[in-house]
Amino acid sequence: MLIIDDVILRMLGISLPVLDLLWTLEQIQNYAYRETYNPEKIRNRIKENRLLFEFEELSREEYERANIDLMHLLKMAERVGDMNLGMRTDLLGSI
Amino acid sequence: MARRVRRPEGGQQDTAKYVYCVIRSTGGKESFGEIGYDGKEVYTLDYRDFSPVVTDSPYKEYGMDESEVEVHRNVIQCVMKDHDVLPVAYGMAFKSKKLLTVAMSVGYEAMKKALRAVEGKHELGIKVFLPKGVLTDHQEEIAKVYREGFQEIASEHKDLSLFSERLLLNTAFLVERGRIDEFSARVGELSAKHGDLKVQYSGPWPPYNFVDIHILGKKRKGFR
Repeated sequence: MLIIDDVILRMLGISLPVLDLLWTLEQIQNYAYRETYNPEKIRNRIKENRLLFEFEELSREEYERANIDLMHLLKMAERVGDMNLGMRTDLLGSI
Repeated sequence: MARRVRRPEGGQQDTAKYVYCVIRSTGGKESFGEIGYDGKEVYTLDYRDFSPVVTDSPYKEYGMDESEVEVHRNVIQCVMKDHDVLPVAYGMAFKSKKLLTVAMSVGYEAMKKALRAVEGKHELGIKVFLPKGVLTDHQEEIAKVYREGFQEIASEHKDLSLFSERLLLNTAFLVERGRIDEFSARVGELSAKHGDLKVQYSGPWPPYNFVDIHILGKKRKGFR
């Protein structure tokens, strides 16, 4: 089964402005997701938050508040990671 | 990481063996007191010349709960007062003693080798942190000065992740028990020399970063 999408059309030298725009928006969205929901970066922020508390740059309240938010974000990120962000919308259907 | 342990069918609640660490055989059961999960006894089992340090614990999922991680850490700290330990990753429970024996058998040679490497040594951690609002172009050089200063004393070192832009050095050192005071003195000297930097010196820890045994699985560290 051959699925025609914007990537194949582009390989064939066919450019559809609407698909190009959608593709660009999709890339931006995926990039934003990866930045916001990158588990590794969030884990680093959790460790940094702990270190700032240990160096007394944060009060216990500030540390605990930030930690709760970051742990929540990490759970979200792990769920997002389970979703396939690379899945493409097949606008033209398949033939 | 959490380990999911399933209850057996039929509703009967079985108990798992939760493993904290492995030590050289004590030649019989040794109890470390009721310091395990739910105030349960921490004791040794025997497998050839090794003894896994365990608690009888109901099947459950061990999540990233700070207080539970703390229990795990405290038990190992307690055991390492009198023994060289091979720390086991947090959350490792076995459905039965038999399964634990199987894991011990699979990992026996790796454990022997690992214990030889860390015997008589402790892990010490050093983090060097830039003060707030201070950036420097000499981060690498400063880190090198610290690392080399400690390497002279340590048997081994392992650079860990620099998880913050302000973190110049995050390194674990494996140090012979008899040289810990010398190491501490070096921390004092370097801290005094670079008084503007924040230094976190921690330990002695079990050799968490120098034991990496994978048994019955590829992704997680420790036992399964």
